[in-house]
Amino acid sequence: MIYNISLILKKFLPFLITLFLWRLSVYFWNPGGILALIPIFYWTFVRHIKGFTWFALLFCFLIDYRCNLPLFWTCMFCLFYAINGFQNYIDIQNMDNNGIRAFMLFSGLGILLLIFSCLTWQNFINNVWLFIWLNVLYMPITSLNKWTKQ
Amino acid sequence: MPCHVGCAYFDIIKRKIKFLLNIKFFAFKVLYMTRDKVSYKITKFLKSALAAVALPVFIIYIMIAKPDYTIMNGLAHIVLPVAHVAGDVITWPIRVIGQSAHWIRETSKLRTENEELRVRLDEALANKNACDVAILENQKLEREIDIKRTTPYKSVIADIQFDDSVFHHNTFLINRGKKHGLEKGMVVVSFDNRLIGTIIDCGSQFCRVRALTDAETNIAVRITGSDISGFLHGNGKSGAYIGFFNDSEFIGRKGLKIITSNISGILPSGIYIGEMINEKHVDVIKPNQISRVMVLKYDDQGSYK
Repeated sequence: MIYNISLILKKFLPFLITLFLWRLSVYFWNPGGILALIPIFYWTFVRHIKGFTWFALLFCFLIDYRCNLPLFWTCMFCLFYAINGFQNYIDIQNMDNNGIRAFMLFSGLGILLLIFSCLTWQNFINNVWLFIWLNVLYMPITSLNKWTKQ
Repeated sequence: MPCHVGCAYFDIIKRKIKFLLNIKFFAFKVLYMTRDKVSYKITKFLKSALAAVALPVFIIYIMIAKPDYTIMNGLAHIVLPVAHVAGDVITWPIRVIGQSAHWIRETSKLRTENEELRVRLDEALANKNACDVAILENQKLEREIDIKRTTPYKSVIADIQFDDSVFHHNTFLINRGKKHGLEKGMVVVSFDNRLIGTIIDCGSQFCRVRALTDAETNIAVRITGSDISGFLHGNGKSGAYIGFFNDSEFIGRKGLKIITSNISGILPSGIYIGEMINEKHVDVIKPNQISRVMVLKYDDQGSYK
């Protein structure tokens, strides 16, 4: 029984982590549940899990709704998904450091667009902080992959 | 020929069903295949094509549906409560620890706060009589010059669920919605009657409020004790600033009090916003400073929708 439960938990761990990070939105440290972008990216592009793509798309939508950015990260996700699928030059799945460079590109491009959408120093500093924070937490969060069963 | 008696018949039926399922769920079946297989590559290509098709659809929708986003908000009204409930279940231990720490911190503050409040209460009571007289005089004068004010007839108290201040947007969710009589466009104030924001989207159990510090905030304001009006904008994070005064020679200064003006017909007039802290900037309430708010329902709601 316990073994079965642990097996189920391991299988659904990526989904739970995404939900966990989205729900635990805290002012400054995780505004709008933005940290959920890390598991969304990792378990979609780096260690793909069956059925996770739709879940990821849904949570991109929920992050957008909470951040008042209509479909912004959803579009970014679709853009990256399409680019990643159509090309075979860059293999994110075999990148070093759990594909952090690809994630930096994903989050960096999104944040850059958001900086240009409101050009103020305050917004710039805030966005730079979010970019750094997202990428600092990328490795610890993605290292949880070893607990998952694929 | 299949044998209609015994296990053999059922085996054949099972095989048929399995075959049909394999055809129907071909897309899912190929996921089990290795990355080198053609079927895997085709599936990957189809999925990418789907994402590529979805992208312009989303972009066109964003451009067309602005500013209401009816479909998007409608979908969020269904998905968000479900995700909240599921999230509540898995984050329960963390939130309990967080709440306990918060309560301990709050309790330690209470004694000092209580003493401060007693002093302030004494001062306030001393001023109350003078204020009562002034209010009555004001009402009399308003009647004489026939000023009609919109007055709130009901207020709904709500807790702030999430402070979603991120990027240049500053919105938050409150735990009251259409079920409690709230509607888009209603005014959200603090318990000391200071304007915090307006409702921009209303679900059945929650509402999304745009704070004054949001970069998209643009409301008509007036400087108390004068006829000078202007527009208040959020700077996207920590504050708000005022500009576009109707008197071009006017220069703001510290200490001037700002209230809402109904010149744009968006908000009812006379709601206190805050004090100016320099020539342009206004000290407004930020969502992270409060945990509970009041939503005001006005008699003539149509005037500020």
